[in-house]
Amino acid sequence: MTLIQTTNLGHKYRERYVLKNVNLNINQGEVFALIGPTGSGKTTLLKLLDLLEIPASGRIYFDGVDVTHSGGPRLEARRRMSFVLQKPIVFNMSVYDNVACGLRWRHEPKDIVRQRIESALELVAIAEYKNRNARSLSGGETQRVAIARALATKPEVLFLDEPTANLDPVATSKIEEVLAHIIKEQKTTVVMATHDMSQGQRLARRIGVMMNGEILQVGSPSNIFSSPKSREVAEFVGVENILGGVIIAKDNNLVTIEVNGSTIQAISDFIVGDMVQALIRPEDITFALSKDISSARNTFEGKISRITPVGPLVRIEVDCGFPLLGVVTKRSAEELGFSVGKKVCASFKATAIHVIKRWN
Amino acid sequence: MTELWQGLVRAIELLISLDPEVFEIAGRSLLISVTSCSISALFSLPLGGLIHFYHFPGKRFLISTIQTLFSIPTVAVGLFVFVLFSQAGPLGGLNLMFTPVAMVIGQVILVTPIILGLIISALSGVDKAVPETAISLGATGFQVAILTLREARYAVLTALVMGFGRAISEIGIALMVGGNIKGFTRTLTTAISLETQKGDIELSIALGIILISIALVINLALSRIQQR
Amino acid sequence: MKSRLTVYTFSILATLSLLSAALGCSSAEGAELQPPKERLKVATTTSLYESGLWGYLEPIFEEKYGVEVDILCAGTGIALEYGRRGDVDIITVHSKAGEEKFISEGYGVERVAFAYNYFLIVGPEDDPAGLKEMSAEDAFKKLAESKSGAFVSRGDDSGTYVREKAIWRSAGYDYEEITKAGNWYIEAGRGMGPTLLMASELKAYTLTDVGTYLTYKVKTELVPIVDKGSILLNVYSAIAVNPERNPKTNYEMANNLVNFLTSPEIQELIGNYGKKEYGISLFNPCAGAEPEE
Repeated sequence: MTLIQTTNLGHKYRERYVLKNVNLNINQGEVFALIGPTGSGKTTLLKLLDLLEIPASGRIYFDGVDVTHSGGPRLEARRRMSFVLQKPIVFNMSVYDNVACGLRWRHEPKDIVRQRIESALELVAIAEYKNRNARSLSGGETQRVAIARALATKPEVLFLDEPTANLDPVATSKIEEVLAHIIKEQKTTVVMATHDMSQGQRLARRIGVMMNGEILQVGSPSNIFSSPKSREVAEFVGVENILGGVIIAKDNNLVTIEVNGSTIQAISDFIVGDMVQALIRPEDITFALSKDISSARNTFEGKISRITPVGPLVRIEVDCGFPLLGVVTKRSAEELGFSVGKKVCASFKATAIHVIKRWN
Repeated sequence: MTELWQGLVRAIELLISLDPEVFEIAGRSLLISVTSCSISALFSLPLGGLIHFYHFPGKRFLISTIQTLFSIPTVAVGLFVFVLFSQAGPLGGLNLMFTPVAMVIGQVILVTPIILGLIISALSGVDKAVPETAISLGATGFQVAILTLREARYAVLTALVMGFGRAISEIGIALMVGGNIKGFTRTLTTAISLETQKGDIELSIALGIILISIALVINLALSRIQQR
Repeated sequence: MKSRLTVYTFSILATLSLLSAALGCSSAEGAELQPPKERLKVATTTSLYESGLWGYLEPIFEEKYGVEVDILCAGTGIALEYGRRGDVDIITVHSKAGEEKFISEGYGVERVAFAYNYFLIVGPEDDPAGLKEMSAEDAFKKLAESKSGAFVSRGDDSGTYVREKAIWRSAGYDYEEITKAGNWYIEAGRGMGPTLLMASELKAYTLTDVGTYLTYKVKTELVPIVDKGSILLNVYSAIAVNPERNPKTNYEMANNLVNFLTSPEIQELIGNYGKKEYGISLFNPCAGAEPEE
C-alpha cells in the first residue's frame, strides 16, 4: 500500500532547480534508500517529503491526502513522521528532555512520555546517559540521541539523511546495527538518503538513484547493482569497465559487440547495428597467465599497465586494445607474479556483461 | 589616595552598621532598575521573537535602528520624559512628574533598545537547525519559538543584565524626572552626584562602591550561570 | 544534572524579576494603595538645601501638617521653570528680578521674603589681587584690570550668578566682554558647593552666599575677602505657584508653608540655624518684610 506519493515534484533555490520531476511511491513498511552523489538533491527531497519545505511544483500525497501546501493537514501528517538530519543537533538540555520534546509537543500523557523515552533510549543503547546534557556527547552518541528522539513519537515514517556520514567506522557500524534492529522490530517505513551505495544495499529493500535533482532509476539493490540503466548510474554503483561499441552479430540473445577492433560476446536484447555500451564489473574479470584453461567466452591478451593496491585487494589495469580493470586478492597477485608490463589473459563471461544503450 | 582610602573605610562602616539611609537608597535603586528591566523584558521577549521569526519589509532597517538606540543619551530620554509628563506637557494630567513611576518609564525607554536588540541577536545566534529539527519533531510555530528562546536563554539573560547595568548606572533620567527627592526618588547615582556637590567625597565613594558591588555581584552571578 | 540546575536558576531568576516587577509597581503606586498622604512639591535654590536649612525645617513642617514634602534642589532658574510648568507647588529662591518677572507673568501669587544674608567675595588667604576692604564693584574692577587673580563664576541659572552679573554691570562692564576676557574668568556651570571647591582647588576668587560658604568652609581654603555693601544683600523668598495658572497645584499647603516660614517660632529657628556649628548665624529672619538695601 502506498504511504507517500509524489507527482512531478520539483523544487528550486534562488531560481535554480535542485529537484525535477520526481515521481516516487513509498510503500507502507518498506525500507527505501535514496542513493546518489553529494548535491544530487537527496536532502531536498527528504525535506519536501517530511513537509519541512513547500515544493515549487508538483504534489505530495501522504496516506492519500494532498499535503502539498501549507495549512490544513500538514502538521498532522508531519506528526506521523520523523526526520533525523544529516548533522543532527541536540537541544541544550538533558538527553531525556531531548527525547521528550516530540512527545511533550504532542501533549502525550506523562506516563506514556516516560515509558516511550525509556524504551527509545534502550533501543539506541544510550539509557545510561539520560541525565547528561546532550551537548556534551560525542558524534555517534549525538546521532543515537537524535534517532531515539525521532523514534520516541512512534512515527509511521522515519527519514534518515546520511545517518552515518560524519561518523568513524566503529560508530557507523553501531548506528547501522541500531537501524537494522529498528527496521526489523518496529516495521516502520524508512526512507534514507546515503551516498554510500553499500549502506543502501545493506539496509534497504528498494533503492532510488538520484543525480542532478532527478531520480534516474528505482529498483531492488541487486537490480540496480547488476543492471544500471545508464552510464551515470553504472558509474555510481561501481561499474568501472564501460566499453562503447556496436552490435555486429546476433544469435538468439547472444550478441557480438565490436569494441575498438576487438569483439565481445554478451547476452542482450539489442539488435544488430545498435550502438551500445558494455558494462563489466571489475570483480567479474578473472586473470590467468595463459589462455587455455578459461571457459569464459571472452578472453583477451594484454599487458598490465597499472597496479594499485586497495586494502586486501589489488586493482589491475590491463591494456588489451581497450582498457580493462579488474581486481584480484593481494595473495593471488603475488602468486601470479603480476607486475607492470607483464602479459596476462583477462576473461569474463558473456552473462557478466550488462549491455545498455549508448547515448553519445 | 587618603580620600579613596577613607571612602573605602566609610563604605565598610556604613555597610556593617546597616545604615538605614544607605540601604534605603540602594534598595530603591535596585527596585527601580529591576522593575524597568522586567517591564521591558515582558514585552521585549515576545516582540523580539516576532521580529526574529517574521520576515517583513524594513526588518533590517528596524534592527539597525534598534542597535543605534543602544547608545541613546540618558539625558535625551530624561528630557523627553520630562516634557511628556511635566504638568505643562501632554501627559501632565497623570501627575507622574518627580515620582519613581516617571523614572521607571524613562528607564524602560532607555533599556528597551538594548534588551530588545540583544534578544534579537540572541535568537539569531541559535543554530538554524534548531527550528528545523523542532518542526520535524512536530512542533507548532509557538512551540518552535519557545524552544528557540530556551536555547538562547543565556544570551537572553545577558541581554537583561546589560539592560539592568545601564538602568542602575544612569543618572540623567533619575535626576531630570525623579528630581533626587530624599526618601522618594533618590537613587545611588543621584545621591553620589549630590554628595559630591556637597563636598562629601567620602560618602560619595561609599555609595559608589556599593553601586559597583551591585554591578559586580550581578555580573559574577551571570558568568557563573553561563559557565554551566 | 547540570542542565536541570540551569533550568532552575533560570526559572528562579524569571520569577524573581516578575516578583520585583510586581513589587515595584505596587510600591510605585504606593501613594494610592496606602492611606494616601498629601504631597507638597517644593523647588528650592541650592543654597537653602546644601546649607542644610531645608533638611532641618522639613520634618518640622511635615509633622505639623501631616504632609509629605518633596524637595527638589535646583538653581533658581530651574526652580522658577518648574514653577512655570506647574511641576511644583511652591518655590524658595533668591533672585529678585526673576521672581518679579515670574509674578508679573502670572505664574506666582505673591513674593514673600523670609530670610536674608549677604553674598561674599571669597578667595585665597594671601589675596593675590589685593581686594581686601574694597567694595564689591571696585574689587571686580581691580580683578578685571589687573588680572592678577582668577575668578570662578557659577555660570548657571542660579540667583548667585544673576547677582554676579549685576555686580559686573554696576562696576561698569558689559558682562559679555567679561566672559571673553581671558583665562582668569572661569565658568563652572555647577552648584554653589562644587564652585567653592573648584575655586579652592584653583586658588581663585568666587562670589558665594554666606550659608553655603560656612557649610563648606572646612572643606576649602577660602576666606572672606569682601563682605559689605548693599549690592551683596541676598534675600530668600517663597512664592506659591498660582492656582489660576496651574489648577492642580496644592495651593492650600503651599500657603501653609509660606505662613510656616514667616511664623515667629520658625523665624527664630532660621535665625539661630548654624549658630552652634559656625559661631554665627547663616540666615537672618525677615518675616515677610524685605530689608532695605
